[in-house]
Amino acid sequence: MSAYLRVVGVSKSFGGLRALNDCSFTTTKGLITCLVGPNGAGKTTIFNAITGFLVPDEGHVAFQGTSLDGFSPQQVVATGIARSFQNLRLFTDLTARDNVLVAMPGQAGETPLGAIFRPLHAARATAQRRAAAREVLAHVGLADGADTMVRNLSYGEQKLLSIARLLATGAELLLLDEPTSGLSGAALDRVMEVLRGLQTDGKTLLVVEHNTRVVQQIADEVVFLHQGHVLAQGSPQEIITDPALAEIYFGGVI
Amino acid sequence: MDFFYSYIALAEIYVLLGLSTNLLVGIVGIFSVSQAAIFGVGAYVVAYLLMNTAVPFLPALLAAAALCVALNILVTLPSLRVSGDYFVVTSFGIQLLATAIFTNWTAGTGGAAGLPGVPAPLIFGQELIEPGAFLGLATAGMALGCLGFWLIMRAPFGRLLRAIREDELAVAALGKSVLRAKVSAAALAGAFAGTAGGLYATFLSFIDPSSFDLDASILLLAMVVVGGARTLAGSIIGPFVLLALPQALALIDLPTSVAAAARQLIYGVLLIVFMLFRPQGLLGEKL
Ligand SMILES: Nc1ncnc2c1ncn2[C@@H]1O[C@H](COP(=O)(O)OP(=O)(O)OP(=O)(O)O)[C@@H](O)[C@H]1O
Ligand SMILES: [Mg+2]
Repeated sequence: MSAYLRVVGVSKSFGGLRALNDCSFTTTKGLITCLVGPNGAGKTTIFNAITGFLVPDEGHVAFQGTSLDGFSPQQVVATGIARSFQNLRLFTDLTARDNVLVAMPGQAGETPLGAIFRPLHAARATAQRRAAAREVLAHVGLADGADTMVRNLSYGEQKLLSIARLLATGAELLLLDEPTSGLSGAALDRVMEVLRGLQTDGKTLLVVEHNTRVVQQIADEVVFLHQGHVLAQGSPQEIITDPALAEIYFGGVI
Repeated sequence: MDFFYSYIALAEIYVLLGLSTNLLVGIVGIFSVSQAAIFGVGAYVVAYLLMNTAVPFLPALLAAAALCVALNILVTLPSLRVSGDYFVVTSFGIQLLATAIFTNWTAGTGGAAGLPGVPAPLIFGQELIEPGAFLGLATAGMALGCLGFWLIMRAPFGRLLRAIREDELAVAALGKSVLRAKVSAAALAGAFAGTAGGLYATFLSFIDPSSFDLDASILLLAMVVVGGARTLAGSIIGPFVLLALPQALALIDLPTSVAAAARQLIYGVLLIVFMLFRPQGLLGEKL
């Protein structure tokens, strides 16, 4: 199968620290690819490089055959890639619905002239979008919390909302940075269910994940990153049962 | 009665200016302390055009607003590079620069002596000299400003601005242009401040740099905060309260030798106490 997202030889140094070191991997359309690796392996950094938040020192990123080199975050989203943040970065003073609404592309009334001189047009469009936002929220099981201020949502609900906001961008390739971290029990199951649901809807996912049980349950493919370099890419079984990788992963942490 | 009309008209002009400040500082989170400078440019441009050219009042007001749009975009642009609270320093510099120009460019602004004899607005053949007559114009200006602000805050644009205040990076990650939104907000704030300046100059018929200095910028911030940042109602009530306060204090009977100082003292203490007990302002959200 051809690569959907292709990362080729990306390197990035921060001062003396080589956070990404000739990092290469691919994802396949329609699959869930888990990006694993010890703390500080460069997982978030490669997300930043893919989404235009960081310019790599070397290497290239291409999506569906189109080079993303030199793209701004805004341009990257326009190609159909969106990312979430490890620390969520929700708009905490807005309601859950407003968080989702902000993310929707191409809105009438999103400029001052549109807002002031075509208020009825903007209002009609907003009414439609509210319905769409409700659907997105329902998709992650947050329909009841639509009018709740984000800061009043539980941590689990905030994690779900960050997925909903990502979904609202309409992107086809979703980059999720540790969507399950800090969760357990029902909340963890809920997020896994949502991720699988996204796959069923035809989305392609690249997920940073620390929990091996989660990786085994959701991943079609696993990319193992260590010291900014991809050591292996393969099926969850291949990667998790590889004793050398396990040594790096668990040996490194403990 | 004229005194009362004057108070209302002046407060209404400050409401328009307060909306400008609220938009930038309260809504978008661009901490500007130089809005009085933009206000001043609007005032001087209208005064200059009316006193030295044949340009009528409304076109002069429009020209002032347009120039202030451009100028406010220019002075707000550094906020894209200088993050958050640090922008205060940049903005402080801009305000000092403006005051220096207002004070020293004698040919254009009359310097420290100011510009006396700015003609009253002439609209549809009516010269609005009396405060009562001017009041209609000020009210119309304020009403239009409030309508614009209200429309914006309920539109997607308002939501985008509030999201930007909270987390620019997250907004960019959603594919939105932070630059475009900030420039738009700055343009709008510039138009409000420039229009307010033009009304101010023609209403008072005398302007000098003291109305457009750092103190004026801070007073403006105080109006927005006391009224309540981030809300339309707050921007309306703030100027009315803070402009009435000195008048109310003037009613307190004090020995003339200490009156001025004592009133300032009371004014300051009142502000401090107010903020301690009602940090979100009279009708506002927490800043
Ligand atoms: N902007 C930056 N400036 C300096 N160093 C950075 C920067 N971003 C990341 N790093 C460093 O690069 C390395 C990789 O960081 P990164 O956040 O990508 O790791 P990670 O794999 O996401 O780890 P974690 O599992 O803890 O989230 C770390 O050593 C980190 O300290
Ligand atoms: Mg990380």
